[in-house]
Amino acid sequence: MLARHYIGESWKHGLLIIGALIVLIPFYMMVSMSLKSQQEIQSISGGLVGAQEIQTFPVCTKHGYTEEVCTMRPYKYNFWFAFKKAPIPRYLMNGLIVTVSIFLIQVLIALPCSYALAKLRFKGREFVFSMVLFCLLIPVHAIALPLYVMLAKAGLVDTYAALIIPWTISVFGIFLMRQFFMTVPDELIDAARMDGMGEYSIVWKVMLPVAIPALLAFAIFSVVAHWNDYFWPRIVITGNRDLFTPPLGIREFRGGIDSDEFGPMMASIVTVTIPLIVAFIVAQKRFVEGITMTGMK
Amino acid sequence: MHHSKAHIWFVWPAIILMIVILILPIFLAGGISFTNYNLGNSSFEWVGIENYEKMFSRKTYIKMIISTATYVLIVVPVSVVLGLVAAIMLNSLRFGADIYKTIFFLPVMATLLAMAIAWEFTLHPTLGIINSFLANGCGGIREFILGFHWLPWVSSEDSWYSVACANNMDFPYWLKDKKTAIWTICFIGVWQAFGFNMVLYLAGLTSIPRELYHAAEMDGAQSTWEQFKLVTWPMLGPTTLFVVTITTIRSFQVFDTIEILTKGGPAKTTYVMMYAIFEKAIQQNITSIGAAITVVFIIFIILLTFFQRYVIEKRVHY
Repeated sequence: MLARHYIGESWKHGLLIIGALIVLIPFYMMVSMSLKSQQEIQSISGGLVGAQEIQTFPVCTKHGYTEEVCTMRPYKYNFWFAFKKAPIPRYLMNGLIVTVSIFLIQVLIALPCSYALAKLRFKGREFVFSMVLFCLLIPVHAIALPLYVMLAKAGLVDTYAALIIPWTISVFGIFLMRQFFMTVPDELIDAARMDGMGEYSIVWKVMLPVAIPALLAFAIFSVVAHWNDYFWPRIVITGNRDLFTPPLGIREFRGGIDSDEFGPMMASIVTVTIPLIVAFIVAQKRFVEGITMTGMK
Repeated sequence: MHHSKAHIWFVWPAIILMIVILILPIFLAGGISFTNYNLGNSSFEWVGIENYEKMFSRKTYIKMIISTATYVLIVVPVSVVLGLVAAIMLNSLRFGADIYKTIFFLPVMATLLAMAIAWEFTLHPTLGIINSFLANGCGGIREFILGFHWLPWVSSEDSWYSVACANNMDFPYWLKDKKTAIWTICFIGVWQAFGFNMVLYLAGLTSIPRELYHAAEMDGAQSTWEQFKLVTWPMLGPTTLFVVTITTIRSFQVFDTIEILTKGGPAKTTYVMMYAIFEKAIQQNITSIGAAITVVFIIFIILLTFFQRYVIEKRVHY
């Protein structure tokens, strides 16, 4: 009986390990290429990390660096040269600016609105809520073209504003917060009013602290979505490198795929991809919770 | 409940933004789709349904509908079933479930664009590890397994694997071949999406009360499969509906992998709607056609959601 149980268990592990290996293939490829030398990449040799022989890199000397500077181990060269070729810190900074601004504005707009929808009685409340429900149907990417036309007419293409404006209203955030506020007892708000607090203070001093768990889940959802978003920045940022978000940077690194060296290219992609992956692995539970919670409601 | 004027300041910013950012653009797209407007031109004319006629008669747009439908119809069922199977397997494990969960969820988190490039190299005919893995396996156990030689009706000479081995390692070009490109793109779509579905199903599974399984056992449902049919599957109804809807809406919007890997080609076999909007309206500046595609796209998505809500009301209950 027990033996049968273990056979059943190992059979599952066998399948899951094959699945996990398939899932990890591109990650393996990415990391491996960012560490190895061009020859090793082209001959598909050297396993995950390659031989790491100290060598002089011709592309580097062609860029005007001395032979001495260009002599090092491949992994070091790939990352060093990646940072020489593209303003990677700038791209990461832009990603941070855009995602954080989007999240803050979303909360600033959504929190009072959802409080009003959940806890205040006013004429047209049902109508506003059904409007929210209707807007939930509209994916912003689907209406990207008319939005782009509007922004272009306003002269906002190639600005931070263009990256942020379409995402300032999160009907999903309003919906999520409203559902959350519905579960907050009215007594809490009444008590605050008894203490002489106005509605504004109630939103920011009473409801905001109460909503932290929901806000955290929403933050993860929002930041992940916009850090990874490629379609929208691709449309509204046409040429200004100073405004490139990480995905636009990634696209630029890829550039001439046949001529360039692959090692530094993959090193830049790894650098840009890693912050989010590390954050995910460190705070895994929160991420999964955030994404399922925001998904299920 | 309380009476004050505060709600005006609480609600109006959201209302205005909803109207300007979400609702107005739909009407704008509708309007533009009946004109010959191009961004940058100062004037335009009304052309009636000409743009829509083009869309439903020209080969390019027929191909667009076909590739979008293929992508959605493959990625949605496969990633939902895989997500469900993975969730059920992980749920029954005694140890190690967390590691698999992390790994399967990685593609959901990782920047899709970066992963598309990683796949590009992985699948590259000469640099990629997939084809080198296949080439090194000629004559060995890999050829036996992946060439399906273990199936009685596959002869060990005519299998796709053996033919490729015999023809100087002529393995598929994956993204460069019009016979395989769309399937490869679908594969990457499934790879990316199933972990998300798995996590939703895991959440759904934990909310099924244990007693139901005991009750099913009492009623004579002994095998795992019978219990699945009797308890798990019906109880997961709402989760399934949600998972299917959200995966469908996301699949309709596939863009990143297409733009990086195939640009809609070869021979327009991967020319999906989002890419068509991008190519026509943004790159070629034919705004009016892009608007017509946008309108059709929105109609698809709204119909889909209404269908989902209808099903919720009619069927999913327990």
